[in-house]
This record gives sequence, C-alpha cells and structure tokens, in this order.
Amino acid sequence: MGQGVLDIDDNNFESEILKADKPALLDFWAPWCGPCKAIAPVMDELQETYGDSIIFARCNVDNSPNAPAQYGIRAIPTIILFQNGNVVDQVVGAVPKSHIEGLVKKVL
Amino acid sequence: MPDKLYDVAIIGCGPAGLQAAIHAASKKSKVIVFGKARKSGLYKAHIANYCCYEKVVLGKEILEVGRKQAETFDAIFLEEDIVRTRKENDLFSLNTESGENFTSRTLILSMGVARNKLRVKGEKELVGRGVSYCVDCDANFYRGLEVAVVGNESAAATGAMTLLSFAKTVYLICRKLMVTDMLYKDLRSSRVKVIEDTWVKEIIGTNEVEGVFLKNGETVKVDGIFVELGAKGALELAANLGVIFDAESFSFIETNKKQETNIPGLYAAGDISGKPWQIAKAVGEGCVAGINASEYAKKLASS
Repeated sequence: MGQGVLDIDDNNFESEILKADKPALLDFWAPWCGPCKAIAPVMDELQETYGDSIIFARCNVDNSPNAPAQYGIRAIPTIILFQNGNVVDQVVGAVPKSHIEGLVKKVL
Repeated sequence: MPDKLYDVAIIGCGPAGLQAAIHAASKKSKVIVFGKARKSGLYKAHIANYCCYEKVVLGKEILEVGRKQAETFDAIFLEEDIVRTRKENDLFSLNTESGENFTSRTLILSMGVARNKLRVKGEKELVGRGVSYCVDCDANFYRGLEVAVVGNESAAATGAMTLLSFAKTVYLICRKLMVTDMLYKDLRSSRVKVIEDTWVKEIIGTNEVEGVFLKNGETVKVDGIFVELGAKGALELAANLGVIFDAESFSFIETNKKQETNIPGLYAAGDISGKPWQIAKAVGEGCVAGINASEYAKKLASS
C-alpha cells in the first residue's frame, strides 16, 4: 500500500513528481468537471493495487495553473505518466480503467 | 417551498422514462418528464421483438401511446433538454435549456446513450490539444482565444453561450439548430457567431488545433473546437452529482436491482444503465425505478 492519491500543487509539483524516485501518474482535474469526478474512484482503485511501485497524484488545475500550462493541458481530466522527470505517455478524458491501467503497466 | 417542486423528475422520454412516469404518476406522485421523443433510440425503430406485440410496430407510435398513458395519470411533459443538475440538501435542482429551474425529491435518469464523437479527420489526433468534449470542464483553458462549438442542439447552443464568458470569439457550427424558441432567441441576441447549413469536415492542426475545415469549403481559424452533439449526456449531467459509472467505459451508470444509484434519491433506467439496449429491458427498469422513486419521495415528503 502507498500513501493514497497525493495532492499536487504548483509548489510541490517538481519535488513530488518530476524529481520523484518512482514513476508518477498525475491526474489533472477540477471540481467543476463531471468526467474528472467519474474517474476519481478509478485512480483510487489503481492506487490500492499499484501504489507500492508508482506514485498516484492529482492536481487541481483551478488552484495550480502553472503545472498544467507547462504541459499544454487544454482538457480535463488529463492523466500524465511521468518517469525521471519526463512524460512517458498521457490520456485525455474519462477513459476506461483498463486504459489507465495500460499506462501503469508501461513502467512496472 | 419552491413552486416547482416535484416528487419524481425524469430526464428522457424513451420507453424507460415513460414506464417510470406511468408507475410513479399512478401512485399519485407529482411527476415531470423532460426530453424530446424524437431523441429516443426507439423513435425511428421498427419493433418486432417486444413481448405481446405480434406485428411489427413503429417505435414512434409506442412512444406517443406511452406519453398519453402517463398523461392520463397527470404526469407533466416538458419538451426541453436539461442542461444542469445539482443536489442541494435532499432535493435535485434541474435547469432546462430555456433557463427554467425545477426541483424534485427524486430524479430518474433515462436519457439513453448517444454518440459524442464527430468521427472526422484530426479529431482523435488532437483530443486534449484543442479538441474538447466538455465546455463546462475546459472553457477556462480558452481565455481570450478563438473557439468553435459544433452541434445542432441544446448542448452546443448553451455551450457556445457559456464560452462567451471565456473566449474572445465563439463560433457555433451547425446544420440546423434544434433548440427551444427561448434558447434560440438568447443565442441569436448573443455574440455567438452562428455558421449554419454546414458541418465540420476536418479538424486542422499539427500539434494543436489551428482551425476547422467545413463542408461548405470555408476554413475557420480557431484555437479550440468543442464537440457538443445532441443533449447533455450522463457524464455531463450525472457525474457532478457523484454518480458511480462503470469503470470500463464510463458510459453506464451503476445501479442495484431497485435501479438505485449510489446517490440517495437518484435512479437510472434503460440504455443508460447498461446493455442489452432493448425496449423490454428499458420498460422493466423504468417500472422498477418509477415505483421505487415514488416510494422514496413519499418517505422524504413525510420526514
């Protein structure tokens, strides 16, 4: 078990995601976004399964505009997989659980 | 007490919604049904596999009869799409495309499932890079930019007007607008630039959206295109209430055998709660949802 889905903001984005010692799956979301709410439980479930090997995190774009702007995010939810500070892959929208799990498996 | 308080509000007037309305209204609940019959998957169908109808019947006829039946039990029908839902305290608050607000003790979602992709060149490639399927989610990313909305109905028209608060220029690309008179008037008196009688042929751009190429030969330069076909669907209307969807497709709302969702007072019936997409299943689930919603509303009213 990991530590639950981690809350990321513009201040800790670099230390917790880019400089993390493990791959990180970061979900960019906002409270007004229905599809974001729909995938939140999926992130929780995947965290329970894979939380030991991968960091699961979410970033509220409403409070932290810099990180999403840096990655050209124009739609939420967008989930980006980071490894060693680089983008490995990303998905946009409320995509199936198996699709998100597919991302996770790329870095296991 | 709000003046438009109902016991059971139903979004969608296909077979699930109609059967729910019939059962809830016959139990003396105050029922209102939102939606447009022609939007039901049944409307243009020929039905040959529905129990007790030996001859092939037209879906349109079934829907007309169902509505009359529900109306004899005093269910009220409003031919409008719902564009926003909220739950405040124990009540559901619903906004129609014309801007009216209704309140209900229970809500039954039976608006079916609809495709939301344009299926044109450039769409899949540029998702998240200027192609969006949710104005409410993504409008904020287009502050001061130029955007287009594509769609013929309430989701596109209301979406375009929402975008006016964010984007510099908003185009609405449509074949023909099919919205209520009130919404049409609001749209026409707004700054939205309506481009009618055409459709998107291709979305142009390499790394991000640069414009759209239309079937009439015109090219419109935009930074973003919002695909908003039809009426707002389950993800847009129900996800913000906290409803749990099936994790494999995010198309279906999870229900139990009472057609209850994880949100108290909220039910789902018909295609929206999963396959098979058959009239018989929709009617059955509508019946269950209607009865249970009616009982729930009575308990809530007396508590």
